Amino acid sequence: MKTKQLTTGAILAALALALSYVEGMFPPPVPLPGVKLGLANIVTLFALYTLGAPSALAILLVRVLLGAMFAGNASALIFSLLGGFSAMLAMVALRRWEKLSVYGVSVGGAAAHNCGQVAAAMLTLGSAAPAAYLPPLLVAAVFSGALTGFVCSLLLRRKVF
Amino acid sequence: MNKSPDGKPNKYDALVVLVVLALAAALGARVWFAPKSPAAELVVSVGNTECERIPFDDTEREYTNNGYTVHLAVTPDGAWVDHADCPTQDCVRTGVISRPGQSIVCLPARIVIAVEGAEESGWDAIAG
Ligand SMILES: [Zn+2]
Repeated sequence: MKTKQLTTGAILAALALALSYVEGMFPPPVPLPGVKLGLANIVTLFALYTLGAPSALAILLVRVLLGAMFAGNASALIFSLLGGFSAMLAMVALRRWEKLSVYGVSVGGAAAHNCGQVAAAMLTLGSAAPAAYLPPLLVAAVFSGALTGFVCSLLLRRKVF
Repeated sequence: MNKSPDGKPNKYDALVVLVVLALAAALGARVWFAPKSPAAELVVSVGNTECERIPFDDTEREYTNNGYTVHLAVTPDGAWVDHADCPTQDCVRTGVISRPGQSIVCLPARIVIAVEGAEESGWDAIAG
């Protein structure tokens, strides 16, 4: 039982890493460098539903740290750290509201992810200016959140792992 | 743990979407409906420190930081980065900014160019 959790976790972490890499090849949704749409949140969401919050957190940590190592810069670490953990916190909180389906949890997580990234940009630049990008990013989060929710609901229904 | 979620979005999910969109609209209204006040000026920060304030007049500036150079064009109608040698080119793609709250960010060069409104509000201008 424990071993199966560990292998699933490892596969999910690798998948998350691959997703954030693929995502880095697309231009950011707003002209704010470092900002990503948050496709890797699919994995956090899926892990949250199948393995529980502690495992999801561990997978997130591995993804963020390894991702920063591959990217080789510290500012990317701040973006994925703040984005990833904000999304994680929001999704754990929203999941407690049992009336929500995976879509609502996902959209809330995506919105939190983008807020975290804007906060990272504000910290990195020492300026409040990036806050102006929050509105379009929140609108984008509705779409990326719906997409990740859709993918996750498919995965959950087919019980891949 | 197996609180299997319904695979279909429901009205509570729609509520989450509404809250997110409402937040976007509320925050966006402040920027997009901000009046273009003639007294607004550009505030340029290079490497986390404010270095210059430029009024909206015909002029141009060049900033070099962190190994990258950003070229800024300013007219009475707005300001934009017309060319830069940073790898991402996000600053160039941002286009023209003119309203208080808008900004151009170049992360590789650590340069922020933001529009700041005049201190007096529109109401004062009407009263005066
Ligand atoms: Zn640039």
